[in-house]
Amino acid sequence: MPTKSIGEEFLKGFWKENPIFRQLLGMCPTLAVTNAMINGLAMGLATAFVLIFSSLVVSSIKKLIPSQVRIATYIVIIATFVTIADRFLAAFFPPISKNLGPYVPLIVVNCIILGRQEAFSSKNTVGRSLIDAFGMSLGFILGLLILSAIREILGFGTFFGFQVMGQWFKPWIIMILPPGAFITLGILLALALQIERKTKARR
Amino acid sequence: MNLSARMIAVLTSVGLLSGGFLSTVGLLTKERIALNKQKEIEEAILAVVPGTESSQKLYEEKDLSIYGGKDEDGNLLGFAIHASGVGFQDKITLMFGTNASLTRITNLTILDQKETPGLGAKITDRESFLKYWENKDCSQPLSLRKPPAISPEDLSSSEVNTITGATISSESVLNTVNLSLERLKRLKTEGKFAIEERNAN
Repeated sequence: MPTKSIGEEFLKGFWKENPIFRQLLGMCPTLAVTNAMINGLAMGLATAFVLIFSSLVVSSIKKLIPSQVRIATYIVIIATFVTIADRFLAAFFPPISKNLGPYVPLIVVNCIILGRQEAFSSKNTVGRSLIDAFGMSLGFILGLLILSAIREILGFGTFFGFQVMGQWFKPWIIMILPPGAFITLGILLALALQIERKTKARR
Repeated sequence: MNLSARMIAVLTSVGLLSGGFLSTVGLLTKERIALNKQKEIEEAILAVVPGTESSQKLYEEKDLSIYGGKDEDGNLLGFAIHASGVGFQDKITLMFGTNASLTRITNLTILDQKETPGLGAKITDRESFLKYWENKDCSQPLSLRKPPAISPEDLSSSEVNTITGATISSESVLNTVNLSLERLKRLKTEGKFAIEERNAN
């Protein structure tokens, strides 16, 4: 494995290996909760919390885990942090917890988290795993925010709950329904591919 | 240590640690979560039975709880009915208030719903739906006005508005209210919570 500089390890989550636009992982929450920016942000932060702590734990005990039971061990660790995040949201942010509904417990099966444990934390040092987890989390949050911003502005005419579109604007209800999620994600993926192709051609 | 012993040891200890950790977190947050739920209900009672100073649970069964809202002297102001019924996607949980003699609905609020955003979810919107429920005559079952009236004044006292494009959600709310009212009236004539009422007065 070619060694990357710390900076590259951190930045790869934003673009080169962005969980949503490049790796296409964690699509379930990406599609389901991005109808409003506050939900997207809360989901992003909850996922970041789980990813960072799981990476920390997995990378620090990686030598103890027999490879035959590694996935089961990762899942138990991930589920622990997900449950903590779920209880925390229910206790301190009940409206957000209500909006996200079953999608908080479903972070357990978010592939981006298990994927990072298997692909990265189980093979790298604690420090690098943390940097990787931070980068990936921020990339994931960024992706959720872009997607939810587009859907919220077109679907409700608001940005983080503030009215940004004038009275003339008739909200596109489809944008906050599931089809809106697929349409937006599809267009964004096409854009991301196009940008990637252009930059590659220039190189 | 051979492999299977190691596998068992690792999984058992990870599981135990995780379980111990989670039970602590559960204990620490349990009270607060219960408090949030209670606060939500209290706020809803205050919203549907205006002027409530204290409330008391009078009756409970599956999908139906009845609270009595009282003023500062302990006089019964009205009932707050916490009920759920089948909506378009999932259960709709709502709370509505009546006066003490069960002839008028004072107000309605939706506590939990998973209706279609932008359509059925408008049942939570005061301007387009809930305000048409304020101060309705409920001595007879309520009925829906379809197509919807433009302003609350256009409706008769026992009619409520339909949301355009979300008839099923509107009907679900109506049915839940009508059914629980019927049940409440029966419970009252059977004297299921007469004692509490006397205490109140």
